[in-house]
Amino acid sequence: MAGSLWEEIPRFFTYYNWVFLLEAAGRTLLLTGVGCLVGFALGFYLAVARLYHGRIFLPFKVIIVLYVEIFRRVPFLVTLMLVFFFCQGFGLEVSVFTVALATVCLIAASYTAEIVRAGFEAVHHTQWEATEVMNFTLGQKLRLVVIPQAWKVILPPAFSFFIAFIKDTALASQIGVVELTYVGKVFNNKGFSPVLAFGAILVLYYLMSYPLARFGAWMEKRLVVSKH
Amino acid sequence: MNYTIHFNLVWKYVPDLLQGAVLSFQIALLAFLGGMIIGLVGASIKIFGGRVSRGIVQAYVSFFMNTPQLVQIYFFFFALPQAGLLLSPYQAVLVGMTLNAGAYLTEIQRAGFLSVHKAELEAADTLGMSLTQTIWYVIFPHICKVLFPPLSNHYIIMTLGTSMAAIFGVEELTGRAFNINAVTFRSIEVFILTAGIYVGITILASLILMFSGRWLFRIKGKVF
Repeated sequence: MAGSLWEEIPRFFTYYNWVFLLEAAGRTLLLTGVGCLVGFALGFYLAVARLYHGRIFLPFKVIIVLYVEIFRRVPFLVTLMLVFFFCQGFGLEVSVFTVALATVCLIAASYTAEIVRAGFEAVHHTQWEATEVMNFTLGQKLRLVVIPQAWKVILPPAFSFFIAFIKDTALASQIGVVELTYVGKVFNNKGFSPVLAFGAILVLYYLMSYPLARFGAWMEKRLVVSKH
Repeated sequence: MNYTIHFNLVWKYVPDLLQGAVLSFQIALLAFLGGMIIGLVGASIKIFGGRVSRGIVQAYVSFFMNTPQLVQIYFFFFALPQAGLLLSPYQAVLVGMTLNAGAYLTEIQRAGFLSVHKAELEAADTLGMSLTQTIWYVIFPHICKVLFPPLSNHYIIMTLGTSMAAIFGVEELTGRAFNINAVTFRSIEVFILTAGIYVGITILASLILMFSGRWLFRIKGKVF
């Protein structure tokens, strides 16, 4: 078995296979990066919307809480299928990449809403009361007092969530998005040894995820130290 | 825009889906327990082991934490038969999920072990406690309290992770949803029901974990 594996290697790492692999890796990163950025923006607004007091806002708050709770408790694969069949059933002509991107945005929004809320809660309540006393508007409160303190709490978990999603987008191959895992399946179906096909994919994922994970750990350590 | 939602066609499949949920629960629980054992050994080696064994555990943890679980299971499912080890889909998913959980739980448990302060161990020493007494009265209660929230969190994540088994043809909750979808063509309804069941079982698991955490270790946990 090992002998045939050695023979396959030059046949596997041809120029076009490299292009295919790297393009797919780029698509994985694009899907994760764009999805998580849009999701973070959405989640941030959801977390801010939960800060409003008053009875008029209650229905919106209930909807937001339901949204956040539901999307955090449904597997990525099921949400993906729901969005996919929803687009199909209601005749939306979109590519599978867009479907996957929308799913990543939806899920990332619900998770980051929770992360941002935890960050807001980490700011001591006396600070909130002080902004209340100064008669700040909500925008001023966030811009001048809360975010300068909360971002250190928000950034590390948000970043590790982003890294986790590099790996979770592997499931997008299931609806036919040509990202890294899909390429692994294609190589496997072409008759290359699965050790080689999936091994190459695993190594590429590792190369994408590991440096970012190290950077995240470094950032976390640094931000915690600078707090004291 | 000509899709009308008809739940009445899929209601009768709810018991079928719930049976799948039982299988999901089973996979998650077995993988979690296996992962706990791997994690316990791994964390002990990482703290007390020599350089070589620590390096091996570190390589294992970093490999499994930085690659997708799905591709790991693909690898076990397709590549191990080449080495003469044929795994059924269920076994491949279970092995993949256990090894993946082992990596994450190693890290979680290591952090828990390290949270015991040296002063506590010295205090136990001063009181003349034996090693078993120290472990039972000082280290164990402390570690449980620190470890319980992240472990229960990871258990919920693993419950959601079992949906990957559907891709390999295991008939758990998502797998059954795929099958029912193929029979009825009521895709949106079937997956809404499936999502609802996932929400239900994870909320149930969160509630059970929260109450047992409160009762056993006096942790103020929250579900939402």
